[in-house]
Amino acid sequence: MKYAAAAVFASLFVTPVIAQDLPDLQGREITVVTENAYPPLQYMADGEAVGWEYDAMAEIASRINMTVAYENISWDAMIPAVSEGQYDLGMTGITIRDDRKEMVDFSDAYMRSEMSMLVRGDEERFTDAASFAADDDLLVAAQPGTTPFYVAVYDVLDGDEANPRVKLFETFGAGVQALRAGDVDLVLTDGVAAEGYVAASDGALKVVGEKLGTEDFGFIFPKGSDLVAPINAAIASMKADGTLDALNKKWFLDTKLGE
Amino acid sequence: MRERPGEKDFPWWLVILAATGAVLFAQVIADELYSDVLETLMKGVGITVFVTLVAFSLACLLGLLLAMASMSRWIVARQVARLYVEIVRGVPILVLLLYVAFVVAPALVVAVNWVLTSLGGEGIRTRDFSLLWRAIIALTIGYSAFIAEVFRAGLLSVPEGQIEAAEALGLSPWQRFRLVRLPQALRVILPPLGNDFIAMIKDSSLVSVLGVTDITQLGKVTSAGNFRYFETYNVVALLYLVMTVTLSLALRRLEKRLGAGR
Repeated sequence: MKYAAAAVFASLFVTPVIAQDLPDLQGREITVVTENAYPPLQYMADGEAVGWEYDAMAEIASRINMTVAYENISWDAMIPAVSEGQYDLGMTGITIRDDRKEMVDFSDAYMRSEMSMLVRGDEERFTDAASFAADDDLLVAAQPGTTPFYVAVYDVLDGDEANPRVKLFETFGAGVQALRAGDVDLVLTDGVAAEGYVAASDGALKVVGEKLGTEDFGFIFPKGSDLVAPINAAIASMKADGTLDALNKKWFLDTKLGE
Repeated sequence: MRERPGEKDFPWWLVILAATGAVLFAQVIADELYSDVLETLMKGVGITVFVTLVAFSLACLLGLLLAMASMSRWIVARQVARLYVEIVRGVPILVLLLYVAFVVAPALVVAVNWVLTSLGGEGIRTRDFSLLWRAIIALTIGYSAFIAEVFRAGLLSVPEGQIEAAEALGLSPWQRFRLVRLPQALRVILPPLGNDFIAMIKDSSLVSVLGVTDITQLGKVTSAGNFRYFETYNVVALLYLVMTVTLSLALRRLEKRLGAGR
């Protein structure tokens, strides 16, 4: 009964959002920066930049009547570049975090992600986060400043960011190579990316344990950007009418990665 | 010092290198994954070559000016050149790149806008200053310090007697520099300068942190999408090697012709 009431209440709440007129930016041109290195959110396939975020951004643009031009930059430089106003919006599966909010404004969350534990195919010494943490010999690879790094430190290990069991690598793929080579024993990554690596590895990699550390992704804007409100309205309407769910199905279930 | 026979050896190393290259190329053509990767990465070759050529030319120009300043009669010029070389030479190229891109370039834009607006014009936006050019400026600055030292050493290697002789013949200071000192210095300068050029082809890969779509950036992006790091970076290495080895051989010929390093 309680749930039924909640559902009625939710529908009351949601319906006006669908009906509500979305803001009209009158064809305003905005520059979106991304990295194309985070499948299936955005990546290169057969020379084309594709992915969940491209589809979502195209849909947002058509709903609030804006024109999008894309540029590329690396992850290292993305938050500083958006922060200084070099671009109007950054999208690359950026986890909404308080420390980043000091540099940039975030949109509402458009996706929730959970980390998978990627290990070598013959790994038998641990099966989950607790058994990994318990063995001091085991090492984890992470990119400094990324969500997997923080999850490794705070959710898997002891909360010490200087813990020597975290080996830092400049790129995510380098960490995976280190895992395959035996330099480290664990890499954390989004569930989909983990499946992509497992599929491309011919049995050299597998996923173990439960999902860890729930993270919400948002777009980033320069501080004080007037784009946040209209884009949030578009995200809300896409959540409400099932567009985001359809995108999740297309890119997370129907698309095969690493082939 | 007498030349060791090494230079006259049959170039077995080149045969081995060429054979390895041929095997890799055969692999690239036969394997679909490899050829896909190669096709994508080839798009970055133009950018890598462009960045390297422009930055290296500018760095040579700036380096020559710095070398001349460091040998100038004026103490201020000498000290400024020294300070520049010591600071820049000691800062990693990667740090220079990020610094130029996100500190120096925006500051430059602010300065330009201040001038433009005080002249009644319209300001420019930071974003109009492309990251490609910020990267080129950073590489130019970084390499100018090394190249300045190469030039300085080369110019100093010309015996003073040559300059005095030119003076006695009534050549002006500019003529003495252009006709006597520089041509002789070039023979000494060429080998280390060529070395710097090859180093810059490789260091230009650092511009990928700014998202400049050179070979390395395309390699990063490709491997992120296909999850095949080993194969992708094989192709990246192959492309850089083709460029650096070709250049290295060309330089060797040029050195021989100029009788450099004798």
